[in-house]
Amino acid sequence: MRTRSAGVVDLAVAAVAGGVLVLAGNLVAEFTAFEWTLWAIEVILALSLVLVWGYCGIFSFGQAAVYGIGGYSYGVFALNLAEHTGETLSALVVAAVAGAVFAAALGYFMFYGNLSNVYVAIVTLATALVLFAIVNSTAGSAYRIGDAVLGGYNGMTRIPRITYRLPGGDPTTLTRVQFFAVCTCVALVLALALRFAGRRPFGRIAAAVRENETRSSLLGYDVRRHKLLVFTLGGAIAGLAGGFYAAWGRFMSPTVFSLKPAALVVIWTLVGGRFSVGGAFVGVVIVEGLSSGLGGPSGDREAIVVGALLIGIVLGLRGGVVPTLGRLWREHLRPAVMAARLGPSFRRQPGSMQGQDRLQPADAVSEIRGDGWSAAQLGGDFESGSAAGIDTDAGEPVEAAGAGARLEVRGVSKRFGGVTALDDVSLDFAPYQASCIIGPNGAGKSTLFGVLTGYHQVTGGTVLLNGEDITRLGPHRRARLGLGIKMQVPSVYGALATRENLWLAAYAACGDRAAARRHAGRILAQLGLSEAADLPAGALAHGQRQWLEIGMVLATGPSVILLDEPTAGMTRDETEQTTQLIARLRSRATVVVVEHDMEFVRRLDAPITVLHMGGLFTQGSFDELSRDERVLNIYLGRGNEQPGGRGEHAGRGNADAG
Amino acid sequence: MTADGAFNAGFSLVTTVSVLLLVSLGLAVVFGLRRVINLAHGEFIMFGAFATLTATRAGVGLWGAMLIAVTVTAAFGLVVELALIRHLYERPADTMLATWGLSLVLVQLADLVYGSVTEGIPTPLGSFGVGDYSMSEYNLVLIGVPWTLAGLTWLVTRRTRYGLLTRAAAQNPDMAAGLGVNTRRVATWTFAYGAGLAGAAGAVLAPVVGVIPTMGQLYVARSFMAVIVGGPAFLAGTVGTSTALGAVENLVSRSYTPVIGQAMLLVAAIVILRFLPQGLTGGRRRGGLV
Repeated sequence: MRTRSAGVVDLAVAAVAGGVLVLAGNLVAEFTAFEWTLWAIEVILALSLVLVWGYCGIFSFGQAAVYGIGGYSYGVFALNLAEHTGETLSALVVAAVAGAVFAAALGYFMFYGNLSNVYVAIVTLATALVLFAIVNSTAGSAYRIGDAVLGGYNGMTRIPRITYRLPGGDPTTLTRVQFFAVCTCVALVLALALRFAGRRPFGRIAAAVRENETRSSLLGYDVRRHKLLVFTLGGAIAGLAGGFYAAWGRFMSPTVFSLKPAALVVIWTLVGGRFSVGGAFVGVVIVEGLSSGLGGPSGDREAIVVGALLIGIVLGLRGGVVPTLGRLWREHLRPAVMAARLGPSFRRQPGSMQGQDRLQPADAVSEIRGDGWSAAQLGGDFESGSAAGIDTDAGEPVEAAGAGARLEVRGVSKRFGGVTALDDVSLDFAPYQASCIIGPNGAGKSTLFGVLTGYHQVTGGTVLLNGEDITRLGPHRRARLGLGIKMQVPSVYGALATRENLWLAAYAACGDRAAARRHAGRILAQLGLSEAADLPAGALAHGQRQWLEIGMVLATGPSVILLDEPTAGMTRDETEQTTQLIARLRSRATVVVVEHDMEFVRRLDAPITVLHMGGLFTQGSFDELSRDERVLNIYLGRGNEQPGGRGEHAGRGNADAG
Repeated sequence: MTADGAFNAGFSLVTTVSVLLLVSLGLAVVFGLRRVINLAHGEFIMFGAFATLTATRAGVGLWGAMLIAVTVTAAFGLVVELALIRHLYERPADTMLATWGLSLVLVQLADLVYGSVTEGIPTPLGSFGVGDYSMSEYNLVLIGVPWTLAGLTWLVTRRTRYGLLTRAAAQNPDMAAGLGVNTRRVATWTFAYGAGLAGAAGAVLAPVVGVIPTMGQLYVARSFMAVIVGGPAFLAGTVGTSTALGAVENLVSRSYTPVIGQAMLLVAAIVILRFLPQGLTGGRRRGGLV
């Protein structure tokens, strides 16, 4: 309901703004409307970056370059075909398609190469600069495509205006005022579409990818494909804007690929706030107003204004107007709200990761208990079958939900360069069983975990899920096959609401918005987090975030649950409840726990595998192993009979994995 | 191909590779040892070139002018670090944006002061002949200086106490600080050293290219690709990729045009990154810096 009313408000705002602007365009002098048209086109370009960077977190410096591609494509196509077809609307389509194709090609290499965000920025910028050099060098009549002369540094001239032809009628060219109205309406419709998409799974998954790629792929989302999709769409919008620009100035010059236009797009978006669709409008007006006001009569100081603005935003506002307001909220207002709602013991403590919480006084523990923070209850509900509630509610079965599966590794080795972190390890995790993996630092536990989750490619051996070879599958494919993964450091969407975190997990499994919402609400209640549902997950206490993450794993209805040190940083009481939860989970799924905490391992009373120096050392129950002199030796560091650096090397491999 | 033709082709190849190394070294030091992505790197090169030009106009001999340019650019880098970079520590996106702003300002300022017209410094030294080909002796400088600077950088980082502190601060700033290293000062000097290397690139290139405000744009894309594709072992990586990418650029340029050569350099870099996202030296030894 809320989203529907938000859509109505958006629509009303856009309709009013569109009406006022179109009317104003008719009232002002024709040349003013002509100038405003450029701003409307720039808003469309800025919107493409809001989508790519704001929604999905892709740090693209190349939107202006895609804009240039669109502009040149419009020019080439219109110059060749306008005379024959009598219209240039098809050239606009070509501009958008060219932008999309270019972005898709570049995006494929960047995202499927798993380039980090900063590298994406550099590659997009370098691409723009190389395009600048290429197009600059196309002066001379030899460089022509049909009737279109590229013109090199002189630019492409005589580009046709926007012309349409109704069936049977004569070609009609848009007047300047009509052109302004068209560009304004396109900008507003795109803004509406982006706002709408932001509330749909498309936009929500984009936000998930932006906030935490690891968690998103662990939930089963194809991060690379989604980024490519968003980047391609952004390319289409930028290409369309470029087509409008070519028709507006009837001229394209290679300077569109140079550094200043690339920077301008980023600055518009930054000033308005990169997450904000309305910010694209505000940003263009403020920045263009400032640079034409302060840039000097011939604009020769414009770049200085733009550059200084960029430095000023970064130093003064740390990333823009809206992010600054957001930070004020996070750092000053939200902690106060949290403290009021949840009581002082839930204040997030710096450094609480390393087990300080274990030493919390008993009154804090009882307070947690009083808050309905009940792991046992959660496990109980799952045991009684409500986890399978996804399928009963949605009316469609969830793949592999709640069916225990067999996870095997056969002869798996993993080397990091010359360092052997895992050496020919074979393990079999039977359905509906909990198993523990222990070992001293550097034993290869984290590497094994990485191999099971798909974050490490094995050097040799196979990983099987229910007999199916999943050795070469990435994390998101494994998640879809029913692997639920809880990382050691809580990996949640810190900036998104707690409820949204759970919704994303549930939606990944069932693909149904309403069912996912119901399921998220139910788990929220089971976690005792209903009151914090609309708070960002980053505001939760450490233990709560651990629980939220376990809740997210369960929301996907996994058949195998992998937990890496699930009790790290928990209080004794929370550890106890986690133990109970895991003990109950094994009736629903296969559970594999990597743990350090011996007390936890003892309480869990599950078969234990001991790793040492990258190899399988021994297996048995806790009682058997606690009588095993060799295991004690490993743990107490007594009589380290194997000299040399191998253990140390394995440790490095392990550190890499972590 | 005749022997002299082969020599000529080889000489041209080595020159391209060396120039790529020259323009990338400063960036490699700053990125490799400080994790700072300096988008104004091209403008530091431009700064060095204009400093050389200004000094020669004031009557200083060319070689002296080059030394002055290196010093002045390093000093400028020091100021930029103190005024801008250190406030953005561990905020890579913001660092990029701020240095990008700096780059725009510097280009426009140079334009206002010097104008956008090409200013020539006559290429010194003469030429020598191999068979039918005549080659500039100055190319020997273009080849010699980058490798000397790379060797110097290797010595500084591997064989001096300062270099040890720098690498320590780069690998684990908190631990280094805990052990008593003044990481801020080390970081500042590292940035200034990188700026000095960029200045040296500008100074050495000044006699063979047009000294214009936008000259940085010519080099910045290429040098970034060389450094990124190089990977974490910044010095070995940059030397390796300069060689590989420079060879691609040179060979394609000879067959087609220099612009296509540049484009192929970028395409090669992107394809390499698709399969080795950590760069050439990233897969083999993680955490190693030199």
